[in-house]
Amino acid sequence: MSWAAHDLEPYAFQKHLNLKVAFVPLLIGSYAPDMMTKWFVYGIHIGPWDLRATDPAQFHRGWPGFGFTHSFIYGTAIGLIIWKVFDSKLWGVSFIIGQFAHAITDTGDTVGTMLLFPWTYHFRIGAWAYAGQTGRTTDAAAYFSGLGCMWDLVWIVYGFYAWRVVTGAYFDGVIYRADAFWPWLNRWVPRGALLALYRAAFFYGTSRWIAWTVWAHVIHHYPYDLSWGGPHWVHAAHP
Amino acid sequence: MRLRSLRKWLPSRPDLRVFVGYCLAAAIYIAIGVTVTDFLYSFWVGVAYVVVAAWAVPMLVRRLE
Repeated sequence: MSWAAHDLEPYAFQKHLNLKVAFVPLLIGSYAPDMMTKWFVYGIHIGPWDLRATDPAQFHRGWPGFGFTHSFIYGTAIGLIIWKVFDSKLWGVSFIIGQFAHAITDTGDTVGTMLLFPWTYHFRIGAWAYAGQTGRTTDAAAYFSGLGCMWDLVWIVYGFYAWRVVTGAYFDGVIYRADAFWPWLNRWVPRGALLALYRAAFFYGTSRWIAWTVWAHVIHHYPYDLSWGGPHWVHAAHP
Repeated sequence: MRLRSLRKWLPSRPDLRVFVGYCLAAAIYIAIGVTVTDFLYSFWVGVAYVVVAAWAVPMLVRRLE
């Protein structure tokens, strides 16, 4: 899984596609595969109950499980539903682009994704360890010690290279004009707050990347292991 | 010619002012997040934080001036 790439990829697509995409469904698409599953992968406490998948990797990426959320067919189906319900091809297509980006990015870890579901083959590059089954703290430490965090860094650097995408002028000239959602929201929310909302995922992804890196390597001294499939000090899950 | 195109690419003074504001907000966000890591997990906490730090607080300060 990726921790910051899904926040930042939509801005990179936005830079290249301009008025051809709507940012909000692009971002929702980028988060969509994990929306239903992430809480159950790490587990939550509700009163006396601990709810957690017995096999988090299987639940998150496998079949039987919710691995189909990381497939092209899922993104296409939800995109078509959005197109039909909102009567907006722009929203449907933007969602599909965001969801595809997430599904492809997650092939970078050792579990990979069933891109061509219902074919249950896991496409995986295996560049960094999938450690979701170890709990969210160890998963964070492992992710920010391996190549996964370097992949996130690529998106952060690209985001800064494409800095004009987050300027007020770009927001007014492209983002606001491309999607009726923003003028609709502007009826209740002032322009300054809309701009902050638009920049939120970029801020969140970048700040969180720095914070987890500081936490893992300055506060806790987890060792970096940038070898393929690392870090090898954590047990990596496989399909 | 090259200098002119480079200057066109570089951020203007108002752009830099906005960037510095976001950097300050990020520094506080990171400090809180490193101390209380639960703060870093929620996207919605991040969204609320950035709206407050990058829009509400500057707006209040401007009104008080």
